[in-house]
Formats: sequence, structure tokens, C-alpha cells
Amino acid sequence: MQRLWKIFSKGLISENPLLMLMIGLCSAVAVTSSVANAIGMGAAMTFVIVFAEFVISLFRKLIPNDARIPIFIIVIAAFTTIIDLSMKAYFPELSKSLGVFIPLIVVNCIIMGRVEAFASKEKPLDAVIDALGMGIGYTWVLVGIAAFRELLGNGTLLGAQIMPEAFQPILFFTLSPGGFMVFALFISFNIWLKKTLDKRSAGAAKEAA
Amino acid sequence: MKKDIIKLGLALALFAAGACVALAMVYTVTKPAIDGHEARNLAESLQDIFPEADDFVDVNGELVSSEPGVTISGAWKAIKGDAILGVALRVLGKSYGGDAAMLVGVGTDRRIAGIRILVLSDTPGLGANATSPAYFVDKSSKTTFPGQFTDKPVSDPFEVKNDIAAITASTITSKALTLMAKRAGDAGVAWLEKAAAGGM
Repeated sequence: MQRLWKIFSKGLISENPLLMLMIGLCSAVAVTSSVANAIGMGAAMTFVIVFAEFVISLFRKLIPNDARIPIFIIVIAAFTTIIDLSMKAYFPELSKSLGVFIPLIVVNCIIMGRVEAFASKEKPLDAVIDALGMGIGYTWVLVGIAAFRELLGNGTLLGAQIMPEAFQPILFFTLSPGGFMVFALFISFNIWLKKTLDKRSAGAAKEAA
Repeated sequence: MKKDIIKLGLALALFAAGACVALAMVYTVTKPAIDGHEARNLAESLQDIFPEADDFVDVNGELVSSEPGVTISGAWKAIKGDAILGVALRVLGKSYGGDAAMLVGVGTDRRIAGIRILVLSDTPGLGANATSPAYFVDKSSKTTFPGQFTDKPVSDPFEVKNDIAAITASTITSKALTLMAKRAGDAGVAWLEKAAAGGM
């Protein structure tokens, strides 16, 4: 149980795909101008990574090493298309506002990276737990950045007016440069958080000894 | 070596076949819902532009665009009884984020009856504001970007930042959509004139 928790929790902070591994950044800056988009993107990407890691881990012994990358892409692309079609059918508004970023999950390096580094070597249960951790780690960062940017850049949260009428939205935060800046703030915050947590667990270990 | 290639190819083919079956199933399940959304969207937008019309008749193929980058992919005449109220065109063009599609209604008074943006994949928070009902190019009168075209005479110049208010920081989107509206307006007026003369 503790082992699974370790696999799961590393995606949240200490090996967060966006803030620590720093992969999959392009889509993250692009979709975080509104919270609704960030939630949709996070959910879609979590769906794809969970199923891709599960399937690849399940068949890991049948996948020849030399052909593994094309096979990974087939599996990831299939699940991406499934989520793209389902969103078009059941969440047309969300699908419209996320536009091209859903099909682009295929080339999201987080999924490719985790499939290659983790799922192709580990058992299905571990792979699913790892995927959940990574997916949720990705989603919380997206939603956090989006909340920051939407609030300051548009005065709203999830489309509802939060800031007083007199507040003049700072367009900078909606534009990509603002996205990069908020991203950098999140990275430094996460590094601080990781250091604090590491120190605390080191202290606890010392006490136990 | 040769045996290896066959083995690799076989493995690839196997996974591709599996993916194909899964996708075919999802496609069959979702297709009616997706088509339904599109048809409903179109019907709602048409009725929205010509609220008085009691029927829309497909007249696609009778209208031509004067601009190579803007194509007309559908056209419907709005009729009430025997009278033509106007014509609605579905035009395709290119905007900042790729393909854009919109529905442009032209009334018999040679004014734009209304514009609805159907497809636009521009940047959320910027160009995508064109489709937002809460984004106003004129805050005092609560006019949205497509809203400012309503009742505008087609013979107007349609120049962004002149007689068309642009979306903040999205000049490319504004210009692209305005050009589509203008060309659709021109084609619509030309068709209406022909219809009035020839009794189509």
C-alpha cells in the first residue's frame, strides 16, 4: 500500500511532470487562459495516460523492443481519438474551446515519457497508479495556473465574475508571456515546497533513528 | 534479420488492428451525437438570424465567393410563406488558429441580418473572444464582436479599426472574420438581386 502511495504521490510534487520533469509544457501554457479549459484538458490527458499506461503495461511482454515507439504511438493515438470523439459528442462546448489541443495529446511528451520510462517495465496496477499520479499532477498545475491567469487577466473564475467591476483586467496574464511568468512562479513555488517536504521527512527520519 | 522484420511488422499490425477496432466502435457510437449537434447548431443559428422565417430551403451551389480564400460551403434561403426574407451563407475561411466557419445572414434590405460563428479555433482568451457572448467590443451597448455586424449595410467598407471594432490583441482574427462577413455579404446580395430579377 505504502509502495503504491509512493508511486502515486511522486507525480504530484517531487516528480511533477510540468514543474519538475518540465515536459509537456507547450499545451500547458496554451490552454491555461481559462479554468474550464484547464479542467477539460487535465481530465482528457489523465484519461489518455491512464489507459495508455494500462494497455502498454498489460502487453509489455508482447511489444518487441525495436518497434516499441510506433506501438506506443498507436496506443496513445487511439485513446486520444476516443476522448476527442467522445468530447465532441457529449461536451461540444468544451471540445470547441479546447480545439486542436485535444488531438495534440498524442504528442504530449508526458504520456510518451511515462509510457517509455514506466509502463513498459512495470506491472499494470503500478502503471495505472503512476498514470493517475502524473495525470492529477498535471491537472492541478493546469488548474492552478489557469485560476491565476483567468482571475487577473479576465476578472473571472470558471466564467463567473469575481473581481469587482472597477477592476481593470490585466491582459498580460491572458497572453503567452504572462503564462510563462505564472508558470515560472509555480515552478519556484513547487521547488520550495519539495525542499520543505524533503527537509521535514529527513528530520523525521533522524528522529526515528 | 529478415525474420525480425516480419516479427516487428506483425506486432505493429496486430496493435494497429486492435486500435482500429476500438476506434471504429467509438466512432459508430459517437457519430449520431456529433452529427446531431452540428445539425441542431445550424438550425438554431439559422432561426436565430431570421427569427420570422418559417422555412429554410437549401440553395447551395447558386452562390459564388469573389475571394479565393473564402469559400461558401452552404446556403439557405429564409422564406416566410412565398416571400424571401433573405439568404444565409455558411462560409469557410482561415483565421489565426486555422479553419474558421461562420453563418452570415443577408436580408433583402441588403443589410447583414446577423452573424454566427460556427467554428473557430483561435487562442482562448484572445481570438476565441469572438465567440464569447460575454466579450463586448463596445461595453456600453453590450455589443459582441459578431453582434456589431447586425443591420450593417453590405455596401459598407468593412474595415477593421475603422467601421469594425477589433477584438483586443486579436487583429488577425478580427480581420479574417470581417473579410468572411464581407464576402458572404457580397455573394448574398448578388444572389438576392438575381432572385428578385429572375424569380428564383
